[in-house]
Amino acid sequence: MLKEYMVIAAKSVLAHKIRALLTTLGVIIGVASVILLMSLGDSARNEAANQIRSIGSNLIFINVTDREGTLDRNWLKNIETNAQIAASSEMVSGNATYNVEGKDVIVSISGVNENYAFISNLSMSQGRFISEFDIESNVPVAVLGSKIGNLLFPNQEIIGNTILVQGVPFTVVGEVAERGTNFSGDNDMMVYIPMDYARSLYPSFVRNKTYYVAAESEETIDFTMNRIRLYLDTVLPSTDQYRMFSQTQILGVLDTLMGLLTTLLSGIASISLIVGGIGIMNIMLVTVRERTREIGIRKALGARRNQILIQFLIEAIIITTLGGILGLFVSYLGAMAITALTDFDVVIGWTAVMLSLAFSISIGVIFGIYPASTASKLEPVDALRYE
Amino acid sequence: MIELQNVKKRYKMGDTIVMALDGVSITINEGEFVAIVGPSGSGKSTLMNVIGCLDVASDGSYVLNQIPIGKYHQDELADIRNQQIGFIFQQFNLLPNFTAIENVMMPMTYARMSPSKREEKAKLLLHQVGLGDRMYHKPTELSGGQQQRVSIARALANDPAIILADEPTGALDTKTGSEVLTMLKELNQSGKTVVIITHDMEVALRTNRMITLKDGKVDSDVKVGGKDA
Repeated sequence: MLKEYMVIAAKSVLAHKIRALLTTLGVIIGVASVILLMSLGDSARNEAANQIRSIGSNLIFINVTDREGTLDRNWLKNIETNAQIAASSEMVSGNATYNVEGKDVIVSISGVNENYAFISNLSMSQGRFISEFDIESNVPVAVLGSKIGNLLFPNQEIIGNTILVQGVPFTVVGEVAERGTNFSGDNDMMVYIPMDYARSLYPSFVRNKTYYVAAESEETIDFTMNRIRLYLDTVLPSTDQYRMFSQTQILGVLDTLMGLLTTLLSGIASISLIVGGIGIMNIMLVTVRERTREIGIRKALGARRNQILIQFLIEAIIITTLGGILGLFVSYLGAMAITALTDFDVVIGWTAVMLSLAFSISIGVIFGIYPASTASKLEPVDALRYE
Repeated sequence: MIELQNVKKRYKMGDTIVMALDGVSITINEGEFVAIVGPSGSGKSTLMNVIGCLDVASDGSYVLNQIPIGKYHQDELADIRNQQIGFIFQQFNLLPNFTAIENVMMPMTYARMSPSKREEKAKLLLHQVGLGDRMYHKPTELSGGQQQRVSIARALANDPAIILADEPTGALDTKTGSEVLTMLKELNQSGKTVVIITHDMEVALRTNRMITLKDGKVDSDVKVGGKDA
């Protein structure tokens, strides 16, 4: 019997091809936008997670407001063994402005120690990072982010060149490979100099201290954080003078945020699915009216109410499923376009596909049931008399 | 076969109640060839709906083939129509998007007959009505007479005991109408009870019994010659 219903539905859809296509347009747009947004959200989440993971998943950030100057300069070094710290570096940040072809370019200056490259997983595209010797002997060296060399020294050898920071000349000893942008800003527009130079160049930042700490492993990160907390709670006059969070926590927050955003956007997109469903209900009601005579004939010749109901319900489901499949197709094209035009890799997941098909079928059922039930309730005498 | 006793049918038209059937008692036996005639408004369409179980009487009793109609649910009436009655309509009432054979198979589908059996039976019936070479044509590709023959084949699909024809020649020219009547007569001779509703005396006189309705009542019930065309 199901086969007959399918044949009947297919015939009536094919008899009004343009109408069927226009009817499904709402579902097509709805399904396409839901799938696309879901996939985009997932891709963005993966992208962010990968970026953070590339910096290092055993990373801890500490921000201390040391108004009283109670913290020992080497406090992290002092608790290194006790807290199972693999490496740590303070970071003093500032800005420097350079004039490039008449335009001002702002570059971030970061004062760090020799451990920073290891902690932040920096890889060098040429030269070397700041060394222990540079730190101890206060050598004025600089390491550039990947975009800076081309900006300040176009068509020149970068290594060995001199860069001025607040009027002080630094010899460039290395360049960091491209890293992209993350929550700490555009990594490729950063210049790294030895810690002590930064301290004297940007004295206003000295009270507000930022530290990068690498725990020995991802598993011991909580232990390390607890030990650091214990130390800071004892040393600092008040506990609200510092904030500490791990890479994993940031990742978690970011993931939750992105997930929320994706859900929200998909939710908005799914409104169009509902609008599409109402369109289908409308057309199905028109169809039922137009086919009153057909319904009358079928009933006169022995169709039960349920059989008429199922016939029209299947028709609605076929239309919405068709819309779902076309919408899927459109979203594939959209994903391909986005992948081709941006450096964003959008992959349509199976969940999105299954969900959208389930969506379109449910829309057929929800919005088809009323017209179908209207059809099934027609009295054969009235329906036969209908012109 | 068909026993109507004091059947009444009331309709509400606005504020007034119309008595479309006002106490009709008719008995039609198996194998009869009957015409129900009357001017428009006499109640013959209503009577046809009641006999065809498309509508139920407001009052009185109707027994069809030992089945008391009236206390049945819509779906059960659908089954009774499907099994007991073969309908032939003035406007043919074929489904326009379906071929002749699909139209003939439709009542068998609702009778849950298997697809292969359905097809076999439909082919046989279409051959019988002389449309063996037109089985896969749609109604719009057929002449009026051919369409009415498709609907006769459809009426015979589930081997009903009664053929109920509502103005079967109304939309046809005299010659094709006459051919259709001959087919109905042959069906009657093969044992079917045939009831024709018509306002055409020529048609009525070719049956064996003529029941005349007037104002919702039986005006006369006479034997007629069953003359040939």
